[in-house]
Amino acid sequence: MSALAGFGHFLPDGVLTNQTLAAEFNVDPDWIVSMCGIRTRRVAAAEETVCDLGERAAKACLQDAGITADKLGSIIACTGTPHRQFPGVSEEIQKRINAPGIPAFDLHLASISGLFGLALAHRMCEQWGPTLVVAAETMTRALAQGPRAKETAILFGDGAGACLVTPGNGPLAIRDVRVASDATFSEALRMDFGSTLQMDGRTIILHAVRKLARAITELLERNSLQVGQVGLFLFHQANLRLLERLMESLKIDPSQCFINIETYGNTSSASWLIAASEAKAAGLLRPGMKVVVAAFGAGLSWGAALLEVG
Amino acid sequence: MDDKIREALARVAKAPIPANREVSLFDAGVLDSFDLVDFVSDLENEFNIKVPDNDLHPTKFESIAKIAAYLSSHGAA
Repeated sequence: MSALAGFGHFLPDGVLTNQTLAAEFNVDPDWIVSMCGIRTRRVAAAEETVCDLGERAAKACLQDAGITADKLGSIIACTGTPHRQFPGVSEEIQKRINAPGIPAFDLHLASISGLFGLALAHRMCEQWGPTLVVAAETMTRALAQGPRAKETAILFGDGAGACLVTPGNGPLAIRDVRVASDATFSEALRMDFGSTLQMDGRTIILHAVRKLARAITELLERNSLQVGQVGLFLFHQANLRLLERLMESLKIDPSQCFINIETYGNTSSASWLIAASEAKAAGLLRPGMKVVVAAFGAGLSWGAALLEVG
Repeated sequence: MDDKIREALARVAKAPIPANREVSLFDAGVLDSFDLVDFVSDLENEFNIKVPDNDLHPTKFESIAKIAAYLSSHGAA
């Protein structure tokens, strides 16, 4: 048994609009909206690192949870855009929040890292104590490492989200988490050293919609729940059109979903954590509510989690 | 089989379905990435088959000829 004791997020001030991208790629801004539903993305300043974003989200999370860093049992940093090979983002955040002497490590799984971090924390927090999961990404910088395809450049933004997973009961219980990987089509979504993101959109969309739908269906069946009994769905904010297909296939009403991709774009591993943090701050997590988290990413990897508000 | 495939395509097609069964349905604008999701599900229902994850690649569904070959190899009539 474990629970989520708090959330936090941080978004840099810079804004990348469709107008700017449309001019760069010689397309209509409306084409961008039609492809992905995104209107703006946040962009880290030149001097801002992925660690800066993660640090701000981590501190916001600890404040939300009402605990100090010296009570942490471990730190997991989730990112596909680390600032260097090693030491990791986790160690830098550990230093900045002053939590020495506990395990700190990175998960480099891009978009799915945040959910894998949650799954790991859920399993190990009984032994290691409260686990801070921080997902931080500077996707726009990573994309700028090489010639960008317009299909990927329009999608991504920078940002960070965090959650604190604690053993035992808490305000938001983790009832079930399942994650999986299948490398059959792993080359369809990758970022090689010194290169920009490579994505075979058709393959990724096909697998994402079907695997997410199956993961959510199986999660609900295991827990004897129907789609209509879920109060809130928090998806990896990959692409609004993809989420619309997913909602349609599972007959999820849009009112059951918290979606912020229009404003922030796809912030990879951080996206569902930013959404969760904003949803909590907006008072959308009501007592007794069942919450489903679902994410998909490189690997290919995917998963879903069931949470319940106490 | 081609006729049934064309019927399934017609339910999601964004452009006229090419007469030439070898033409790429993506290049012809018949299917986009999102339509492909619905189309594969439709094929599964229409031909009573299950497309396993290992076969979920757009190239297998790129043309009417390729779709027919895939369905035939999976016992669809």
